[in-house]
Amino acid sequence: MADTLNQATRKGFLVDTARCIGCRSCQVACKQWNKLDADKTTNQGTFENPRDLTPALYNRIKFVEKETSGEVTWQFVNERCMHCGDAGCMKVCPSPGALYRTKDGVVAFNKEKCISCKYCVSACPFNIPRYDADSKVSKCHLCIDRIGGGITPACAKACPTETLKYGNRSQLIAGAKAAKKTLYGEGDLNGLGVVYALEGPPEQYGLPANPHIPMSIFLWKDVIKPLGILGFWGSIGAMLLHYVTIGPKKIEEHDEEVRHDQ
Amino acid sequence: MISKYIDRFSTKERVLHWFVTVTFFSLMLSGLGLYSRLFNGYFSLFGGGSNAILVHKIAGVMFFFSSLILFLHNREKVTEFDQDDQEWIRLRGGYLSTDEVHLNVGKFNPGQKMFAIFIGAATAVLGITGIFIWFPESFPRWIVQISLMLHGLMFVGSIMFVVVHVYLATIGNPGTLEAMLWGRVTRSWARHHHPKWYKETTGDNP
Ligand code: HEM
Ligand code: SF4
Ligand code: SF4
Ligand code: SF4
Repeated sequence: MADTLNQATRKGFLVDTARCIGCRSCQVACKQWNKLDADKTTNQGTFENPRDLTPALYNRIKFVEKETSGEVTWQFVNERCMHCGDAGCMKVCPSPGALYRTKDGVVAFNKEKCISCKYCVSACPFNIPRYDADSKVSKCHLCIDRIGGGITPACAKACPTETLKYGNRSQLIAGAKAAKKTLYGEGDLNGLGVVYALEGPPEQYGLPANPHIPMSIFLWKDVIKPLGILGFWGSIGAMLLHYVTIGPKKIEEHDEEVRHDQ
Repeated sequence: MISKYIDRFSTKERVLHWFVTVTFFSLMLSGLGLYSRLFNGYFSLFGGGSNAILVHKIAGVMFFFSSLILFLHNREKVTEFDQDDQEWIRLRGGYLSTDEVHLNVGKFNPGQKMFAIFIGAATAVLGITGIFIWFPESFPRWIVQISLMLHGLMFVGSIMFVVVHVYLATIGNPGTLEAMLWGRVTRSWARHHHPKWYKETTGDNP
């Protein structure tokens, strides 16, 4: 499906991890706005809760525990759909309209069009999409039902420290650059819709250093798919060509007759 | 008078073959829309993508077992290649020229053997990768990703081989389709295409 993205008007988030205090207001606000049920969680000896995204949890705070000279410190990083410029999920989705790009550059979804193939999670460089009880896709949709009317996404609105800043993506990036921040996601995958200001290497935050659409997914969709279609018609063509040039292997008539006399 | 015909496939073999064929084409039609959005229209044959996936899963299980049984049933006949087979391969079975060639072929020629082996292997790969794709949340991501790729590769590979198979079993070799329809072939067909098998079954010298 045509995936048109206007880099100049594209909306997005800047996540300034240094400001995050791990209060998880964003998690709660998102659940409230999207009327998502509470997930049952268990105590696993960490403050991180829940430990993974779920179909009812579109964003969460990852706790990165670090021990420096006997003292434990945390770094917090907001995990959610990145609204990739080159979105693996959209590349593999077989159902037009199930995942779609809005004019703001958001990768949104429509559960009614989702056919529950679950291909999108395998093609996502960040392992984001989750599937609800009906096996339908669920993930952050950048509050398309708010930003369309000019309202800030629920998570960013709730953030007390302005860690999550919503706005025009290029303006957010320009601002962060002026403040000499180290950015993650500016150019990767044709630009992530969610750009991070990090204080260390991405791996430390559990983010891939060079996010990319998985190699096997690329081979599947960009190599095998077109070559396969060519190969199919090629094999049909080759058979037709054989038929009209060399021709079928007919059994000699006289052979038939001679043996009939037996 | 000796009958004009000799038996080639039993009723069981024929039913199995056509069962495999029906499930194969169900898989192809229900899988096309999943293969590419270009073929999205094929979903409507099943009343939408979700139903197509359901059909694909059911037909997949049926194809997996029936095709494996078909392969195992022919296992001995299709996995052994002798001297005569090497000669057949050297001359490409005589299919690439109009010259009359005399090849000492057994029940199946090496081309058929390779087709049967390929389909057997493809069935195993498609079945195993199919399980990983079916339950992506239960397996490591890299396994599911590689499975999606291999499943697509074996899908197109099988279809291309089947195109050749259908051609050679129908208009490419007149008289062959009857073997799979009614189980018998004419003596001259057998002498001509499978002389070694003809000798084995009838005791006649072709
Ligand atoms: C319309 C579709 C098809 C037709 C008309 C057809 C026809 C035939 C015929 C006539 C034979 C007997 C050949 C002989 O007597 O030597 C045969 C054998 C066989 N068929 Fe099919 N077939 C079809 C589809 C398929 C499919 C989809 C598969 C598997 C995916 C398949 C697998 C086989 C196998 C394994 C054999 C045993 C001999 C060999 O390996 O070539 N067939 N078929
Ligand atoms: S992060 Fe994953 S789900 Fe979100 S747009 Fe990118 S590929 Fe799609
Ligand atoms: S699970 Fe739904 S959204 Fe994801 S690829 Fe399949 S049809 Fe598209
Ligand atoms: S943008 Fe909206 S949907 Fe996405 S995480 Fe924030 S509140 Fe949830």
